Amino acid sequence: MQKLCLGVMIACLVIFLASGISLAQQKFRIGYADPLTGTFGRDGNLVRDAYNFWGDLVNAKGGIEVKGKKYPVELIVIDDKSIAAENAKFTEKLITEDKVDLILGGFGSDSVFAGSAVAEKYKYPLISGAASSNKLFERGFRYYFSTLGKATEEVRGCVDIVQILSPKPKSGAIIGSDILFTALACEGYKKYAAQNGIEIIHSELFPITLQDYNSMLLKVKQKNPDILFVGSHLMVAMKTIKAMKEIDFSPKMVTFSYGPTVPDFVKSLVKDAEYVVAASEWAPNLPYKDPLFGTARQFNENYFKKYQRYPDYVEAASAAGAYAMQVAIEKLGITPPVKEEDRVRLMEELHKQNLMTFYGVVKFGPDGANEAHPPVAVQIQNGKLLNVFPREAAEAAPWYPMKPWKER
Amino acid sequence: MKRRWSILLTAIIIVLLIAPYSGISGYMVRFLAIIFLWIGKTGCWNIVAGYTGYIDFGPVAYFGIGSYVTGLLMAKAHIPFLFSILLSGAISALIAFPIALPTLRLRGAYFGIATLAFAEAMKQIILEFDQTVGVRFFEGPHGITLPIGPGNVSFYYVGFVIMIAVIGITYWTEGSKFGYALRAIREAEQAAELSGVNTLREKTKAYVISAFFLGIIGGVEAYWLTYITPHMVFDVLITIQMVVMALLGGIGTLLGPAIGASFLTIIYELLHRDFPYTYAIIVGFIVVIVVLLMPRGIVGTLEAKLRA
Amino acid sequence: MLLFLQSLLNGILLGGIYAAYSAGFSLIFGVMGVINIFHGEMVMLGAFITYWIFILFHIDPFLTIPFSIISLFIFGYLIQRFVINRVIEAPPMISYILTFGIHLIIAYTALWIWTADFRTVTTSYSGFNANISGIIIPYARLATFGLAIIVVAGLYILLYKSDVGRAIQATAQDKEVARLMGVNVKQIYAITFGIGAAITAIAGSLISTYFIIFPQMGLSYTIMAFCVVVLGGMGYIPGALWGGLILGVVQSLTATYINAGLSGAITFILLFVMLVVRPSGIVGKGIVG
Repeated sequence: MQKLCLGVMIACLVIFLASGISLAQQKFRIGYADPLTGTFGRDGNLVRDAYNFWGDLVNAKGGIEVKGKKYPVELIVIDDKSIAAENAKFTEKLITEDKVDLILGGFGSDSVFAGSAVAEKYKYPLISGAASSNKLFERGFRYYFSTLGKATEEVRGCVDIVQILSPKPKSGAIIGSDILFTALACEGYKKYAAQNGIEIIHSELFPITLQDYNSMLLKVKQKNPDILFVGSHLMVAMKTIKAMKEIDFSPKMVTFSYGPTVPDFVKSLVKDAEYVVAASEWAPNLPYKDPLFGTARQFNENYFKKYQRYPDYVEAASAAGAYAMQVAIEKLGITPPVKEEDRVRLMEELHKQNLMTFYGVVKFGPDGANEAHPPVAVQIQNGKLLNVFPREAAEAAPWYPMKPWKER
Repeated sequence: MKRRWSILLTAIIIVLLIAPYSGISGYMVRFLAIIFLWIGKTGCWNIVAGYTGYIDFGPVAYFGIGSYVTGLLMAKAHIPFLFSILLSGAISALIAFPIALPTLRLRGAYFGIATLAFAEAMKQIILEFDQTVGVRFFEGPHGITLPIGPGNVSFYYVGFVIMIAVIGITYWTEGSKFGYALRAIREAEQAAELSGVNTLREKTKAYVISAFFLGIIGGVEAYWLTYITPHMVFDVLITIQMVVMALLGGIGTLLGPAIGASFLTIIYELLHRDFPYTYAIIVGFIVVIVVLLMPRGIVGTLEAKLRA
Repeated sequence: MLLFLQSLLNGILLGGIYAAYSAGFSLIFGVMGVINIFHGEMVMLGAFITYWIFILFHIDPFLTIPFSIISLFIFGYLIQRFVINRVIEAPPMISYILTFGIHLIIAYTALWIWTADFRTVTTSYSGFNANISGIIIPYARLATFGLAIIVVAGLYILLYKSDVGRAIQATAQDKEVARLMGVNVKQIYAITFGIGAAITAIAGSLISTYFIIFPQMGLSYTIMAFCVVVLGGMGYIPGALWGGLILGVVQSLTATYINAGLSGAITFILLFVMLVVRPSGIVGKGIVG
């Protein structure tokens, strides 16, 4: 009996101390649901790395500074297994059960579409840097923000680049996997190809589960387009290159909506990755900077130091999104625990924001899309991703036309 | 003994009915609603697999068909929800009928593969239809956006009603002549056939009933999620979960699906956040252990012990 | 015309790939009646063994094949002997579910330790192909096609001309009688599974050179193996070749002349029709029910 009483007293003491400690150590609890496994597991992990990069940098300085006091940041992530319904469920859990202060977006249009609907309902501003489907911005939401532009606009750089290529390409073929983002990228290609006077001689969406691309690409090769435009994620991009080499298909240029900017692409494909052009919204040589991350170049190098790999633009966009939220919090003087009125003010502030970051200008339009982001095109030259368009931002001239496989 | 169970059951039902208003969080309401719908889905699978012994690997086809029927009706024709989901059920059942006739003649693995093939084919057809035929109907990869629905509480009750309906149908089946015919098919099909049971007709009845409810559930989840794509609603993972939940709870038992669905969903919630990869590994181990040590599932093993 | 021939050739080579990784599945089902849902994981493991040896020790992928054969043979043997064998007498549903559980364990453990990165083996000669009067023949795929033929022929010889093979066949036909004749059925099952695993591993090793590999790739290979083997006849080894070729050619021609999306739908429709109309497979020698 005595032992029991003693035990209970010690337990109470511990709990008291623990709660005391946690009260003293006030912090911002930021949650997000993200695909860490499943089809987009690879990409979802990149977003997690980006948020952690931001969080660690902020915490190294003691935390977010509000009214002279510093509040560390705690990031809470839940794996949605690349299933949209799960993302909605977990976003709701983070908000209603875990009662996080703030919400961020995970990877991928499907997941973010579902999660942001929940965030909108509970009036939690959600900033994502890894989803760009146009539909995300067509819902009339006020609480959804994206540091990326719309999917159809993201690929603009890859098509406008023809303006500086000579001899000017005349025809193009568009292929893409049959999921939302890539299908939209294909629409973007179509739109800008028309504006640039490129004739589209073939256009096809194929199943994301398609194992063998050879026969499909054969048809495209037959039509002999100058440019191959591909709506892709990493896996599709890698498969396309391997297939192109196997069937000896060398158009004058091949460009991907996403994939080549992820380091795995060059690492795995080595020499076969040369000449590939890709859409990007950011490159380390651009003249952007901010007080937290430094210049774009510094962000790039520090990222490498932490993760032994360079960041891709989605990671940059995600980190910038977290930073945008931080700046708004600091400006409004919001402290944890964050209340609903604070979040409403946060939403309004984000709409007013016009912020320069290492990622470029972050200015959210009324529909939440980042208005001020000129898409860029990068190309893999000697194993490195270099900015090749537009000219003002270019680090190098584009290599054109692509050297046929047999001549390499 | 029976009275004790009935009282317990009634108590549980009352608790569940008032739960959303008892101050539990929105997340908890959602969580319970999800369990109800999984019990419904697993229960549907159980009606076929548990009682006829025919292991279906394509039930998600009807779930997906139901989602799309509701999606198209609500988004494009502005048909109200309840009417849409009933139509979803009806159309799923209608499609199930001509599929049942040829496939239910197959045995074991072949039936499984045929149903899987059907589900995959459905997914691909809906994905490629617009592009191949040149129209805008299913919207392929772009998916369908449904109107915004009511809150979680409404879906909680809808899910609850469906769950009761599925369990109810299973209960009715168990005690009816229909149920006996099904079990005869499971134990010794040829003997059943010889003794005058029209096995194909009975199997088809079970299959179509299962499809009907799966279609309704598909419609409900489409409205709840507000956005559907073929990849989401024809996902083979949905079938896999139904199978594992039924196995865990006990295939061919009345409450097996309920126990299995609850158990697995709870484990998922507990493990999932801190152990994203290991969740699946643990489920794998659970499956292996259950199969090796408790092949009748939780309910089945308990029933056997009680009988002994 | 050239387009047609090229597409046809692509289809034949693709068929060879399908056959190479499906033959093991057919063998295991034919002898033991087990539908192995972690079959695709064996392809994945073979591919990753080759990948890691290539990356870490810079050994040519073709030379890594003996490693995958031995590793997967041992793996298959042990899993059958100590796990699957326990349910061999039970209804088939039980073995599906068991092998499904094992699939989850292997696929997600691989995901955990190797992460979701997409990988591929790119050698200096990757993608090399021969160009014969305008028709392109990728070498790596040709090698896999050759492998498929060798595997089928090899299995055939094993089954009909060797003692082990005869024991396997006897066990497949009637294990009680085989047991009475002195065959150690447990051992035979384990060896068969080991062989099935080993040949699948070789296919996996080769596949790493022209497809993208990742820990969760297994399930789609398992599903495809089902299709191939049903078309060709379950348990009938040469059927893996027929099934593979039919699927490969149909998919290829559909992708070239209509669209790639339809090739997926057609595969499953074809499978469905075959099951309903002629479950014993195209040549009619498959085991039914």
